Amino acid sequence: MRVRAFASGPAPWAGLGLGAGLTVVVTAALVPLRSDVTQATPALVLVVPVVVAAVIGGRPAALVVAVLAAGAFNVAFIPPYWNPRVGVVDDEVALAVFLAVAVTTGTLVAQSAERRQAAEQRAEEIQGLHDRYEVVVLERERLAEEANRVAVLEQVDEQRSALLRSVSHDLRTPLASIRAVTSDLRAGAIYDDATRNELLDLVGDEAQRLDRIVANLLSLSRIEAGALQPDRQAVAVDELLAERVRRLAPLFRQVRVQVDVPDGLPLVDADYTQLDQVVTNLLENAARHSPPRSTIRVSAITSDGLVEISVADEGIGVARFDRERIFEPFRRGEGSASSGVGLAICKAIVEAHGGTIDVAPNPGSGARFRFTIPTRRG
Amino acid sequence: MASAAPTSVLVVDDELAITRALIAAFEARGYAVTAVGTGREALERIAGTPPAVVVLDLGLPDVDGIEVCRRVRAWSNVPIVVLTAEGAEHRKVAALDEGADDYVTKPFSMPELLARVRVALRHRRPGGPGLDESVLDVGDLRVDVAQRQVTVAGQPVELTPKEFGFLAALARYPGRVLTHRMILQMVWGPEYGEETQYLRVYAGQLRKKLRDDPAAPRLVTEPGVGYRLVDPREEPSPTA
Repeated sequence: MRVRAFASGPAPWAGLGLGAGLTVVVTAALVPLRSDVTQATPALVLVVPVVVAAVIGGRPAALVVAVLAAGAFNVAFIPPYWNPRVGVVDDEVALAVFLAVAVTTGTLVAQSAERRQAAEQRAEEIQGLHDRYEVVVLERERLAEEANRVAVLEQVDEQRSALLRSVSHDLRTPLASIRAVTSDLRAGAIYDDATRNELLDLVGDEAQRLDRIVANLLSLSRIEAGALQPDRQAVAVDELLAERVRRLAPLFRQVRVQVDVPDGLPLVDADYTQLDQVVTNLLENAARHSPPRSTIRVSAITSDGLVEISVADEGIGVARFDRERIFEPFRRGEGSASSGVGLAICKAIVEAHGGTIDVAPNPGSGARFRFTIPTRRG
Repeated sequence: MASAAPTSVLVVDDELAITRALIAAFEARGYAVTAVGTGREALERIAGTPPAVVVLDLGLPDVDGIEVCRRVRAWSNVPIVVLTAEGAEHRKVAALDEGADDYVTKPFSMPELLARVRVALRHRRPGGPGLDESVLDVGDLRVDVAQRQVTVAGQPVELTPKEFGFLAALARYPGRVLTHRMILQMVWGPEYGEETQYLRVYAGQLRKKLRDDPAAPRLVTEPGVGYRLVDPREEPSPTA
């Protein structure tokens, strides 16, 4: 009953039982041989049950078995036999040493077993944590991917709504002028001939502006669909520029346009309609940013198999920060009344032709847009 | 214009084409027109040589048009008619709340804008708005505030007290839009402002009792903004 006080749980009991059993077995086995061996043999062998109890049952079991083994050593192998009394001092010392060694060995072995067990348990816990961590990491990666996809979709969505907003603004602006003038004339407003003609011109100009916006929208939808295929032919840049400046005359009522193209400029290899649209957008942009009575300079030069066309105005210019961004869709300049798709379309068309486009400060004041188009070979 | 000096109009818009159309239309009707393209110029101009009326586009390149309204109202009573883009009801309400007298939605018809400008001018004339008058006439509709009686073409119309309050509020500013909030606070009290559903119900009842022609109603709904009371015979046709 005494031993039960140490026990807690099944492993101490098992260790205790096994240790006690082994002590009995070892003692029984060695008793017939005790006259043939020294006391050291049973002392050494009796440590074995203590070690077994320590490994299986832990420290309490080892201590109990150590005491049992010491008792067994005393009564079975220290004379007088089968009597707890100890005859000589040497034997007392031997018994004390045995007990000390057994207790120490049992304690050390039990401690190391506990440590091993604790280490195993920790390893298991760490493995469990690691597994959970991996699940969390995977989940987080999945969520990050999801968030990324949502962000991209949102950006596309935002661009689309920005396009819709600016397009409806762009379309409504000329419509507002047309409706104002026609409703005014319809209501029977009395105008002198000059004013009446001016108003009718205004309606015509605004209708043309609508037409240009629609042309840009068609190009934009082609660019978005990846269907901007230049239908290349030989184009005479001087003729294109002259014709476009003439057609846009209503935009230039308050400014002067100077076209400067050298004789013998080579033909370029381009889609006429698309090239015309680039020139139109740049001229419209220049007109929009030109102060009254200023000059817009249009010029073309050639070098290295390219023709470089430039459109320069004397407006407020483009801030260094904006020189790249201005070619992104929906980038309006400060106070600009345009939707900001015109320059993005220019860039897409020029690049589809294998050319480049940029903007630099115009010497003096304003902005100078330049783009290149390959010349026609053969 | 009957008066000797022409009525001066300040047009504030950064779009050249619409500005030209507005200048021509106002000049043809005898107004003296000045046009500027920015909010800053507009504020300077109103402070320097105050016009009789301002036509203000809300989408200006520098100062927002609503901000222009707010700043002008800090020191001037000049009538302001704003031009706004379609589908921006909150902007209209904001402009009216900041003291604009009325608005016209782009694309607008010129006769409609001219009518709004005339109404705005009438209300700002000293003694113009019928704030102290006890009998208010809007076409063949008569609202007798003192007697709390309403007649249409001489025929009496029975109204509940709230219906009468609603109609009298609008009749004090004939032709001019009043926002939901303005009407609710005038008729229901200062703690009201969001209960636009009340107004829908009362407007419906009023139209029935006034026998409004749905095609040319006296009580006009300005969706998302408020109501105005008009004389249908004076109102320019919306298709003009």
